[in-house]
Amino acid sequence: MADYDEENGRLTVKLVYYGPAMSGKTTNLMRLHDLLNPQLKGEIMTLETQNDRTLFFDLLPLGFRTPSGLLVKFKLFTVPGQVAHDATRKAVLSRADGVVFVADSQRSQGLNNSEAFQNLADNIGRVGLDFDTLPLVIQFNKRDLPDIYSEDELRERWAKMHWPLLFAVALIGEGVQETLRALMAQVYPVLDRQYGLQARHGMGREEFAAAIVGA
Amino acid sequence: MSGHDMQARNDHFDRDFTLTELLAGMSREKLARSLEVLLGPGFRLLSATGEVLLGTAEPLPAACRCELRLDIEPVGYLEDSAAAQPQVQACAHLIELVMKSAARYLMASHLHEENVNESYQRLLLQHEALLKSELRYKQLAEELEARVQAQVKTIKQAERQLYQAEKMASVGQLAAGVAHEINNPMGFIRSNLGTAKAYVQSFSRLAPLVKSGACYQLAAAWKADDMDFVLEDFASLLDESITGADRVARIVADLKGFSNIDRTEEEVININDCITSVCNVAASRIPPGVHLVTELEQIPPLRCRPGHLNQVFLNLLLNAVQAVGEQGEIRMRTESGEGEILVHVTDTGAGITEENLPRIFEPFFTTREVGQGTGLGLTVSRDIAQAHGGVMEVESREGAGSHFTVHLPLDGRKH
Repeated sequence: MADYDEENGRLTVKLVYYGPAMSGKTTNLMRLHDLLNPQLKGEIMTLETQNDRTLFFDLLPLGFRTPSGLLVKFKLFTVPGQVAHDATRKAVLSRADGVVFVADSQRSQGLNNSEAFQNLADNIGRVGLDFDTLPLVIQFNKRDLPDIYSEDELRERWAKMHWPLLFAVALIGEGVQETLRALMAQVYPVLDRQYGLQARHGMGREEFAAAIVGA
Repeated sequence: MSGHDMQARNDHFDRDFTLTELLAGMSREKLARSLEVLLGPGFRLLSATGEVLLGTAEPLPAACRCELRLDIEPVGYLEDSAAAQPQVQACAHLIELVMKSAARYLMASHLHEENVNESYQRLLLQHEALLKSELRYKQLAEELEARVQAQVKTIKQAERQLYQAEKMASVGQLAAGVAHEINNPMGFIRSNLGTAKAYVQSFSRLAPLVKSGACYQLAAAWKADDMDFVLEDFASLLDESITGADRVARIVADLKGFSNIDRTEEEVININDCITSVCNVAASRIPPGVHLVTELEQIPPLRCRPGHLNQVFLNLLLNAVQAVGEQGEIRMRTESGEGEILVHVTDTGAGITEENLPRIFEPFFTTREVGQGTGLGLTVSRDIAQAHGGVMEVESREGAGSHFTVHLPLDGRKH
């Protein structure tokens, strides 16, 4: 449900980093801010944290202009992972065009991951989005830690799901761009269908992702 | 974009804010004065759409123009025709810092408002659900109350019927005793009256001789009919009949104490009189080998329901008779205690076993054969004692007999 402002030639796309507490959502945003070099890049806006934990959300604005002159603006949000902040999570998730679910790879976090994923599924329904069609990618973060689920285990477990599975060490920026690129690939067809990115603005799938994440 | 969509979009915390909104929280005059000091008089602040928000209204010739960026887009411009470019750029950065702070505040407050609204809506729903369940519980409680009332009514009715049954059982036992007691004197009074009738016939046979004045024949006939004996016996059978009639009269008088068993009015009476009439009424039920002793002390009169208390004493006495069997002693004693009258009924009978002792006042508890007792005698007796403000105590040892004490306080009936 991107926000298309025809008058000012602006398309705003909302992407949300969801997941259990302390799984590395904010770290993903911080590394993206450091690593990405799109036409337009804003500062990370951090809205109140407590002991390194997000209380409201973080926001990273990114953007580019299409050859047609359309400003495509991305707003990357994180949600607070703690169970208590469900109302904020729902408000941030509202009107999202795509979601990255950041999971913690450690075996000890298995239950937290599934609870947070169930919460995502529930909240997607509650805010009026469609769980089956909403662009979504899964990132297993903290691959550098000991006692983690192996990639084979995770692939086997998620084999029946149709969502792309990515692996990352967000702290050193490994996998964060790939994750965003995978999400952009999911988001593009939806936006193209609705706003004619290719036909009217000359933006193909590849160019679209490259404009933000790079080639 | 329609006005409605605009409205809907304006509610969200994550929308883009205009420069007007971002400056809404601060004094524009102060900002204008500061900019004037920093840049000189020839400046103006424009929104993204070119609307002048601060400074001179007319377009500035050859002005230096700086973007005011929030996120990745300009939301307005700062123009100045006098100051140097670096100064204007520095001022624009200052305004951007202010805008960014305002944006943070606006986003946080709008998000907070969304959360509060959502919580409120959820609470409204919960409240509605609670009201519904409260109503349901209220109805349930009322229904329950009605059912309890109905049940209580049924139980009370059953209780009344049982008490009535117990009373009838007592009265039945009483009637049997009284019948026997009256039958006995009535038997010999009837027999005496038969004999008296024969004696009168003897006198009628002598009457013609008396009238004719035949002294010799009269004396012979007197002797022949043994009239000396007749005279003597006549007097004694009349005496005996009078005694018998008195006995019947006394029994009837004693019985009156029981006839008002249902009378609710209170009377001031002497408990000793109650004990005496109970003993008289029950006399026929006491086997010859059982010795009934009454020790009646001088006691103050008591305001009570005599019919009810008679039922208590009769109950205790008949229980004692049953306990002693063919041989033994029953002692009924009254004494004046501290603010109360004590009635003791002691027997030398079978006694009550240790396991049965705590249960004897329970309704329907009986050790007798089916049909021999309702199991309510002691329950009713204790209830009557309590209704008089008193208590009933029992001591008993198996094989040694039982001792029941009824405490009746003198001021026990509080109204």
